[in-house]
Amino acid sequence: MSTSAFAAGSDFADGGHHDHSHGDDHGGDHHGHLKLQYQPGLPLTKGKLIMWLFLSTEIMFFAALLGSYVVLRFGALQWPKPHHVHLSEPIGAFNTFVLICSSVTVVLALEAAKVNKSSLAKTWMMITLALGSLFLGVKAYEYQAKFSHGIYPVKPMGLVYEKPDLYYASAVRARLSDPVVLEEIAALDAKSETEMNAEEIAGRKSLAEVKRLVNDPAQEAFDIAVVADQIMPLPADMGSHGGSHGLNDTFSWLQLPIVIPGGNMWASTYFLLTGFHAVHVIVGLIVFAILLTYNLGPATAGMIENAGLYWHFVDLVWIFLFPLLYLF
Amino acid sequence: MSNSDAPNGSSSSADAGSSEHGPRTTPGGLPETAAPAAAVVEASHDESHGGLRVYVAVFVALCVLTTMSFFTYSPLWPWRDEPQVGWAFMMAVSCTKAMLVVLFFMHVLWEANWKYVLTIPAAMMAIFLAIMLVPDIGYRSRMVSQERLLYMARPSDEALMHQAGTAAEAKAGAEEAH
Repeated sequence: MSTSAFAAGSDFADGGHHDHSHGDDHGGDHHGHLKLQYQPGLPLTKGKLIMWLFLSTEIMFFAALLGSYVVLRFGALQWPKPHHVHLSEPIGAFNTFVLICSSVTVVLALEAAKVNKSSLAKTWMMITLALGSLFLGVKAYEYQAKFSHGIYPVKPMGLVYEKPDLYYASAVRARLSDPVVLEEIAALDAKSETEMNAEEIAGRKSLAEVKRLVNDPAQEAFDIAVVADQIMPLPADMGSHGGSHGLNDTFSWLQLPIVIPGGNMWASTYFLLTGFHAVHVIVGLIVFAILLTYNLGPATAGMIENAGLYWHFVDLVWIFLFPLLYLF
Repeated sequence: MSNSDAPNGSSSSADAGSSEHGPRTTPGGLPETAAPAAAVVEASHDESHGGLRVYVAVFVALCVLTTMSFFTYSPLWPWRDEPQVGWAFMMAVSCTKAMLVVLFFMHVLWEANWKYVLTIPAAMMAIFLAIMLVPDIGYRSRMVSQERLLYMARPSDEALMHQAGTAAEAKAGAEEAH
C-alpha cells in the first residue's frame, strides 16, 4: 500500500477539482510523471468513515442495553412507578432540553468554523461544554436523590427490599438492634416534646409502633406492610413526590430497609443505562475541551464535524432514554 | 486491474505496485468518473444545505416534541387508564425526534448513499438483538416455579403497601379528630 495512493485518495476525498488539470496535462506529459488517481471506497474522509463505523457499533451497544431494559421491564410482574423511586419527570424533561440545546450549539460551532469565524465557533463550543456539564450536574443531583433514599444498584449500600415479607421484617429488626441506632433511639426517647418539632414527635410515635410491630410474635402480613409504609411510603399517584415522607426522611440516621416492589431490578437497569450514557457524555466533554485548545477555523471543521456526530449520537440515546425511564 | 491502455510504461515501481488498489490510470477517463464523486463530497460540505434557519426550525420542532411526550405525564392527558396509548405515542415522538437529529444535525439527509450501508445493517442488528432477548428474559416470569414466585415482587405487594398507607392516613385522621 503505497503512500502516494493514500495521498491521492485523500486529496480526492477533500474535493480537489485541481486534479482535473493533472489528468488533462498528462496527455502531453511524456516524461512518465504519471499522477495516479485512486477512487476512495466511500466518498467521505477517513475520519468521518471511522466515526460512522464507530457509531454503528454504538447503535448496537445501546440497542442491547435499551432492548434488555424494555424486555426486563415488560417481562417483570411488578415494576416501580417513576415516583416510587424518586424520579422527577420535570427534571428529566429539563435534561432533554439541555442536550437538545447542546446539539444545536455544536452544529452552529461547525457552521461558524467552516466560514472561518473561529472566535464564534469557540463561543458555541464553550456553550456546548457548559450545557454538557449542566446535564452531568443535573444527573449527579438525581443520583444523589436516589442514594439518599437508599436506592443503590448494589446490595451493601442499597436498602431496597422487593416485598413486605418476613425477610424484610427481620432486616428491619436487625437494623433496629444496631448499636448506633439503639443509641440514637435512646437519645430521641430522652428528649422532651418541647425540644422537638411536630414531625419529630409524630416520627417518634411512629417509630415506637414500628418497633412494636416487627417484634410482635403475632404479626400478620398486613402489619409488615404497615411497617414498610411508615418507613418509606409509596406515593399513590403522580405529582405527590413531596408527599412521600417516611421515618427514613424524618430521621436521617435511621436508614431502615425500605420496600419498593421491583425496585432492585429497576435500580440495576436505571444505573446501568444512565451510567453508560453519562460516561459517553463525559467522553464528549473531554473531546470538546481538547477541541477548544485549537484555532477553530476551516482546517478543524472535519474534527468538529466528527465530534459533533458523536455528540448528536449521545443526544439521540437520551431521546430514547428519557421517555423509557421517566414516563413509561 | 491492468493498465495496459494507459501510457504508463515508464511509471515507477511504486505506482505499479499500488495498481492492485484499483488506481484509475486512464487520464482521459478520470474527469468523467471523478467528477460525480467529487461533486457528492463537495455537496456534503456545501453551505447551501442546512443553514441557520433549518437548524432553528429543527430545534423548535425538537422542543415541541419533547413537550408533547412530557404532556403524557400531565393530568390533562386523556388516556390515563390505558398506558399503552401513552407508550406508543412516546415511542412515535422519540422516533420522530431521532430522525430529525440524524437527518439534519448529523447531516445524513445530505450524505451520499454510503449512509444506508452503515446505518441499515446496524439498525437491523439492533432490532434482532432486542427480539432475541424476548424468549429468555422477557418471558422469564411467565413460567417460574412456585418457590421463586414467593420471593418475586408482585402487583399484590404494591396494593398491600397502598392499603397500609390508606389505613395509616385514616388512623392519623381519626386521632386528629379525637
